[in-house]
Amino acid sequence: MKRLSYQDAPHYLLLVVLSAICLAPIIILALTAVKTEAQIFDTRWSWFFIPTLSNFQFVINDGNIDRFLVNSLVISVAATIITLIFGTMCAYALARFRFLGRETLSYGTLILRTLPPAVLAVPVFVIWSMWGINDTRSGVVLIYAALNLPFTIWLLYGFIEQVPEELEEAAAIDGCGPFEVFWRVILPLLKPGLAAAAIFTFRLAWNEFILSFILTNRHTRTLPASISNYITDTGVEWGKIMAAGVLIALPPLIFTFVAARQIITGLTAGAVKG
Amino acid sequence: MTPARLVPYVYVAPALLVMVAGLALPILQALNLSFYDWGMGTPWETATWAGSDAFTTMLTEPRVWVSLGVTVAFVVIAVALEMVLGIALALVLEKPVRGMLVFRTIFILPMMIAPICVGLIWRYMFDAQFGPINHFTALFGIAPQAWLAVPELAFFAMVITDVWQWTPFVFIMVLAALQGIDASVIEAAKIDGANWWQTIMLVKLPAIKPILIVTLLMRMIDGFRGLEVIYVMTFGGPGQATELFSLFIYKAAFISQKLGYASALSLLLLALVTLLSLVVLRFANPLKRSDAR
Amino acid sequence: MKRRELLKTGGMAGILAAGQYPLIQGALAQDRYAKYRGQTIVINYPAHPHYDQAEKLFAEFTAATGIKVERDKTQYLRMKDKQTLEMGKPQGDYDVIVYVVMWKTEYVKKGFLLPLEPFFANSALADPSYDFNDLITVYRENIGLVGGEKMYLPGPNAKTYAIPYGSETGVLAYRTDIFAKLNLAVPTTYDELLNACRVIKQKEGIGGLTSRGQTGHQVTAAWLLHLTPNGGEVFDSKFRAAFHKPEGIRAAEILKEIVDTGPAGIPSYGFGEMQNAFLQGQAAMYLDSISVMGPAKDPAKSKIVGKVGYALHPRGSKYSAQTGGFGMAIPKNAKNRDAAFLFMQWMTSKANDVKTTMMGANATRWSTLDNADVKARYPEFNVLRASLKIANPDWRPLIPEWDDISQQILGTALPDVITGKKSAKEALTAIVPKVEEIARKGGWLKT
Repeated sequence: MKRLSYQDAPHYLLLVVLSAICLAPIIILALTAVKTEAQIFDTRWSWFFIPTLSNFQFVINDGNIDRFLVNSLVISVAATIITLIFGTMCAYALARFRFLGRETLSYGTLILRTLPPAVLAVPVFVIWSMWGINDTRSGVVLIYAALNLPFTIWLLYGFIEQVPEELEEAAAIDGCGPFEVFWRVILPLLKPGLAAAAIFTFRLAWNEFILSFILTNRHTRTLPASISNYITDTGVEWGKIMAAGVLIALPPLIFTFVAARQIITGLTAGAVKG
Repeated sequence: MTPARLVPYVYVAPALLVMVAGLALPILQALNLSFYDWGMGTPWETATWAGSDAFTTMLTEPRVWVSLGVTVAFVVIAVALEMVLGIALALVLEKPVRGMLVFRTIFILPMMIAPICVGLIWRYMFDAQFGPINHFTALFGIAPQAWLAVPELAFFAMVITDVWQWTPFVFIMVLAALQGIDASVIEAAKIDGANWWQTIMLVKLPAIKPILIVTLLMRMIDGFRGLEVIYVMTFGGPGQATELFSLFIYKAAFISQKLGYASALSLLLLALVTLLSLVVLRFANPLKRSDAR
Repeated sequence: MKRRELLKTGGMAGILAAGQYPLIQGALAQDRYAKYRGQTIVINYPAHPHYDQAEKLFAEFTAATGIKVERDKTQYLRMKDKQTLEMGKPQGDYDVIVYVVMWKTEYVKKGFLLPLEPFFANSALADPSYDFNDLITVYRENIGLVGGEKMYLPGPNAKTYAIPYGSETGVLAYRTDIFAKLNLAVPTTYDELLNACRVIKQKEGIGGLTSRGQTGHQVTAAWLLHLTPNGGEVFDSKFRAAFHKPEGIRAAEILKEIVDTGPAGIPSYGFGEMQNAFLQGQAAMYLDSISVMGPAKDPAKSKIVGKVGYALHPRGSKYSAQTGGFGMAIPKNAKNRDAAFLFMQWMTSKANDVKTTMMGANATRWSTLDNADVKARYPEFNVLRASLKIANPDWRPLIPEWDDISQQILGTALPDVITGKKSAKEALTAIVPKVEEIARKGGWLKT
C-alpha cells in the first residue's frame, strides 16, 4: 500500500464524515441507554452528561432476561451449526455432481432465498403446532436454519467452485473415499466462506423477532422477541428500551469488529465473481 | 442405482429436508389455508370452507392496494437513493487507501444491527418532542417537525432509515467490483482520450453491470420483505402512510385474526417477490457459469 | 416462619372481617392456600403503570401463600397476539391473563375463558371477607360481564369472566398555573374546552389538549372519547352503522381541532406519548384515563407536580365518560386454575387494593375510595367518584368483532381526518359498507 499523502486528505475527510453518519445513530442509542428519564426528556439534546447504569439494572432485573439470553445463544448457535453443515454438504453436491433433480433443486433454492418471513408466520405456526414443536427451541432452530440455508448454499457454492477439481482427484487416487475427500480437501479451503456464512446465519437468528415472537413461549423466547415487549404504549421509557436495545445490538457489533474481513468477503463474494 | 450414484443425494438430503419442512411445506399450507375462513386461536374444526372469498376480498379491498402502493413507492425511492448514493460514493472513494478496512467495518455496522434496534433508534431520532433530529435541524433554523405524525414525513423518515442502513451495502458491493476491474482496460480508455466522466459511463459502469444488477435486485427483494423496522418505528401509521405489505399481512393475521385471509395475502406477496427473483435468476444464476464450464 | 405467616394472614383477614376472630379466620385462610403451596402460576400482564405497581406485591403473595408467581410482561396492545396463540392450544402456558376490556366478548366467544362464579361459590377457595359487590360497580360490570344485553352489557344471562384490575374511567386534568395565568375557567362544556385549546395555543405557545392519535386502536379511542358526549354512537340499536351521522362527524372534527391546537406529533402518539406530553409540560390539558393521577404526583415522571387540577369530562349534549382498562381472567386451558383464582382474589382484596392505590395504581374498590389514607393522599378522588357516575359502559360496542373494526377500519380512516387528508364526512362515510359487512358477518346486523 502507498504511503499517506496530503492528496488523500479529502478522501479521508469524506470517509470520516460517512463513518460519522453511520455511527451517530448507534452512538445515540448507547448514550440514551445511560441517561436518566429527566435527561432524556430535557428539551435540549446533550452529548455530555453524567451517565447512569440504572436502565441496564432495571432491564436485567426485570423478568427473565438471563433465560432469554441463553435461549438466544442456544438457538443462534444451533441454527448456525446446522446451517453450515447441511449447507456445505448441499453446496458441494451441487458443485461437484451431476444428478437427477439438480437443476430443480438449485433453482428452487434460489427462489426460496427471497422468501419473506412474513409469508411464513401463519403457516409455520400452524404446521409447528401440528408437529408439536411449537414453543420449543428446536422449532425456532429449524425455521432459522431453513431461512438461512438458501443463502449459505448460494455463497458456499461459489467457494467450492473455485477449488480445483485436480486436488480432489489427487486425493481420490491416494485412496480417499468421497466423504474423506470432502472433509480433508474441500472443507479447509472453505474457511473464509464458512466464516462469512456463519456470521450471516448468526445475525439473522440473533436479530429476528417476528417468528420468534410467534413460535416461542416464555420458556423459549429469544431476546429480541422479549424486548419487543418493552416497546410499551403506556410509558415511553426510552432509557430502558434503549438499554435493552444495546443488549441485543452488542453481539453482532462485536462480531463485526472481530470478523469484518469475512463479512465483507461474504457480502461481495456472490457479486464480485458474478 | 449404484451406491456411487446415491452419494449426491446423501449430501443433499439434510438441507433439502430442512428447506422442505421450513419453507416449501409452509407455502403449501398457506395455499391450503387461504381457502378457509379461520379465526386465530380457534380449533381447526371451526374453520369453514370459503372458496375464493379471501382472494376476492383481497383484490377488491382498497387497503390492500394502498399498502401495495406504499410498498412499491418505498422500494423504488429507497433503493434508487441507495443505488445512486452508493455508486457515487464508491466512484469517488475508489482509490485504495490505507486503513480502508476500518472504514468498511464501520460501514457494515448499520446492516449488522438488529432491525428491532434500527426501528427503536430511528423512532427516537424522529421523536417530535425529544428526538435528536429536531435538535439537529434546529441548528439550521428549521422548525421542529412531527416526523412520524405527518404521512409524507413519516414515509420520508422510513426511507431515510432504510437509506442509512443499506447505502453502505451498495457502496461496499460497488467498491469491491470497481477495484476488481482490470486496470489495463481503464488505462486503454485514458490513452484513447476518454475524460473522467466518459471513463465512468463508458468503461467502469458497463464493466460492473452484472454486479450492479445483482445489488439492485437484492435490495429490491429485501425492500419487499421489510417488516421489523417499521413494526417498531410506526406500526404502519399514520393512516397507511408506512404500511408495508409484510406488516399488512401481520395485521390481518394478528389484529383481524383472519388466518385464511392473511394466507391469501402472503401468497400475493410471495408471487411478487418470486417474480422479482426470477429476474435475478436470469442475471445471476451461479449454475449457468458451472454449466458453461 | 409458619407462625409469622399465620399471624400475618390472620391479621389481614381479621381486618377484612371487621376484627372478628382474627385467628380463626386466619386458620381458614391458611387452609385455603395449603393445598396449592409450591404450585407456580404464570401471569401474563401488560407493561402499564397500574401493573408496574401491582407487580411489587407478587413477592408478598408468594410469602403469604407459598404459591409462586411467574411473570410474563407484554406490551399491552400486542398482548392479544400472544394470548390468542397461547389460549388456542390444548394446554396453555398462562394461569392468569390480564385482558383489555375490548377483547372480552371475543375471548368468551372463542371459548378461551372460565366463568368465575363457580370459584366464588366454592367455599374452599372463596374468601368470605372478599365482598365482591364492593368492586366498583361500573368496572365490575364493564370489565367482567359477558353474555348480557348486546353480549357486552349487563343482563340476566351475563356471567363474570374477569375481576377488574387496572380499570379506569376518564377525567379532565389541567394545569392550574396556566389556567390561572390566562384567567381561564375550567371547561365544563365542549365549547369551553375547544376555546381553551385555542387560547392556550395562541397565548402560551404550548399545546392545548394532548391526545392519542396513533393509527389503529389509539386514534379510535381518542375519537370515541368525544363521540358519546356529543350524542353519537358507533352502531344504532339494530347495529346499523351510525358513526358517520352528524354527531360522529362532529366528534371527528373536534378531534381534528384538538390535534391542530395540541402538542406536535399527536398522530404518532400512543397512550404513553400522549400522557408524557402533559407530564412534560408540552400540553396544558389531558382528557383520558384517571391513571394519570399517580404519575402526575411522581417527580421522576412529571415536571408539573403540584400544578394539576382535575375535573369531569366536559359535556357536549350530555355527560358521558369513558370506562375501560384491564381485568384478570383464567384461561380454560390453565394448568393451575384454583391457585390462579386465589392469586386474583388476594391481589384485589380490600387491604391490598388500598396498598396498591397508595403506591399509585388505579383503585378497584368503593371501600378504597372511602379509605381515610387514600382520601388524604388523593383529594382528587372526589372527581373520580363523580366521574364514575357519568361513566358510560356503552361508549363503544364491545362485540367480538370490535377490535378488528376499531383497529383496522376506524383506526385507519381517522388518521386521514386528523392529518387533514380527508374531511371527516368523507373518511367516515367511506368505511360504512366495510363496518356493516363485519357486523353482518358477526350476526349482529340482520339485513
